[in-house]
Amino acid sequence: MTAPSTQDDAVMQGAGAARPALVLRSTEFRRGREQGWRDLEVLLAKAERAGLSALSTEELQRLPLLHRSALSALSVARAIALDRHLLLYLENLGLRAFLVVYGPRQGMLEGCRDFFVRGFPAAVRGAGFHILIAFLSIVVGTAAGFVLTRGDESWLTAMVPADLASGRGINSTREQLLREEIFAPWPGFTRSFITFANFLFRHNTLIGIMMFGLGIAAGVPTLLLLTYQGLIFGAFIALHFNRGLLVDFLGWVSIHGVTEFGAIILCGAGGLVIAQHILFPDRYARVDSLAIHGRSAAQFAVGAIFMFFIAGLIEGGLRQLVADTAGRFAIAALTAAVWLGYFVFAGRGARQ
Amino acid sequence: MSALDDKVAQFLEGVPRNRREILTPEGILLPVDLADHGERAVALIIDLFIWMCVTALLYVAIVAVLVEGKGVEIAVTLILFIAFIVRNLYFVYFELAWQGATPGKRINGLRVIDRRGGPLTPSAVFARNLTREVELFLPVSVMLSLRAGANHWETLALLAWLGLFSALPLFNHDRMRSGDFIAGTIVIAIPKRVLLADLVENSIRYNFTTQQLAAYGAFELQILEELLRRPRSARTTAVLMEVCAKICAKIGWTAPVPAAEVVPFLIEFYSAERAFLERERLYGRLREDKNSRPD
Repeated sequence: MTAPSTQDDAVMQGAGAARPALVLRSTEFRRGREQGWRDLEVLLAKAERAGLSALSTEELQRLPLLHRSALSALSVARAIALDRHLLLYLENLGLRAFLVVYGPRQGMLEGCRDFFVRGFPAAVRGAGFHILIAFLSIVVGTAAGFVLTRGDESWLTAMVPADLASGRGINSTREQLLREEIFAPWPGFTRSFITFANFLFRHNTLIGIMMFGLGIAAGVPTLLLLTYQGLIFGAFIALHFNRGLLVDFLGWVSIHGVTEFGAIILCGAGGLVIAQHILFPDRYARVDSLAIHGRSAAQFAVGAIFMFFIAGLIEGGLRQLVADTAGRFAIAALTAAVWLGYFVFAGRGARQ
Repeated sequence: MSALDDKVAQFLEGVPRNRREILTPEGILLPVDLADHGERAVALIIDLFIWMCVTALLYVAIVAVLVEGKGVEIAVTLILFIAFIVRNLYFVYFELAWQGATPGKRINGLRVIDRRGGPLTPSAVFARNLTREVELFLPVSVMLSLRAGANHWETLALLAWLGLFSALPLFNHDRMRSGDFIAGTIVIAIPKRVLLADLVENSIRYNFTTQQLAAYGAFELQILEELLRRPRSARTTAVLMEVCAKICAKIGWTAPVPAAEVVPFLIEFYSAERAFLERERLYGRLREDKNSRPD
């Protein structure tokens, strides 16, 4: 049978007169499943618009079933169908369903509770070495700041930015420091607990986030920032030491310093964890190594922000309320014990 | 299949797509399109605009309180605090609540997903947004301090150094920000697709021989499908007529196809070709395109 004669026959025969109608497996396949896809699409649109909670119990039960049947349809379609539009549609549908079904399970509140009970202390316990390094760099900075400023107080002006010094400087006398700083009068609830605490919180948090974020630059800026915090601290110690106020100043600092330095060290340690897994990726590719460990490092930073918040409250308000060095040391010891207990014991044995 | 899909897309759009594949827990490979830099920039600008509007409203509230004249200090501080919280939690909140999309991303059809196809965890969302402070707000504040500071060189050096972090998405394969690196996430674009009717028609008015159908492969079939699905216009009609003429020449179809019959003829040819190729495929003889040798 030659081609032209066949054509002429077909044209003359008209619509499907003699030959059986064309049956495509892919078309039949599509006809059988299409309703399920459309149902899934409706559920997805609802969940994407208003969240999973907008779905009824019945719909929630159907969603994973429809999701799996859409994915299995995709597998079959890839094997038997050459309909490009159908394949693209199924891939798109599968992806949208995947995002809804495997999206973030927890809301903000649940996530927070889980984080404080388990995630944060566990992350801290897993990074002892980095915490030690961060701690040591602060100690080194403090020692250097102390030694330098003790001999020559002009170092203080060089190292401490003006807004942090808030009037304290090489010209401050012993009486000024005692009256205006260490045993300053209670400025009232609003000013101390809200205004001052808030300023301290924002300032500290920014530094902490920077320490963490700059871990991606191989951790060098993180170490520099840590040491610099130590330098400032050391310089102030020397300033007070030279005026015979060492013990009172340490009491004044330690009441909130335990919490604040703890948070700074944690932020720094988080940055160092990131730096370590960029520099030494172990068996993984650098990107994968970072992805595996970056999340636990981020838990440090989030937890540290919370600690900064508490430190800000203590520094802004409580410190002025307790105008007595022994009392301040007692509170400092108490906060140290609480944090230590929290990090060592909290969340052990909880479900993974 | 995916390679064929890429080939068709590249032929039609002229540019290779940036596709990645994720493996879902069900063991299915799903292709995803990486978001363009432009789309992400627009999404970010929308988000920043919303953030700035909220902050501006807060400042209006400050002014209102200042005029009232009582409790000024508390109001100012509270507002500053809230603005700070808004700036840091805006992205985290929405990416958790809206399954990886902020308002800006949603408008642009973008989503944050786990790079390997796992679930997007809260810690990943926190991680990818914490570095925003370093990537975005720090360079901006340095830039703003430029005119005040006397030593510009120092500031410029700092700015260049920070700029490297901000420009990171331009320098890597997966367009990841530094936050994406830390959290192991990527940002993808999800177009909305609707299921259209199948092109295949069951009526048979033209009859093609096996030899004629064997002239083409899956690639040509899908290009033809795409052309037939385009909305009809003078331009597409002209293209379809050209295609029809070429097909007739290739398969040795001598009967004339009148202009009004071009689309029905092509649809018939598409149906027959697809039926033929799908059947061949079941027997393990898929022809990729017209140049591949028949087994």
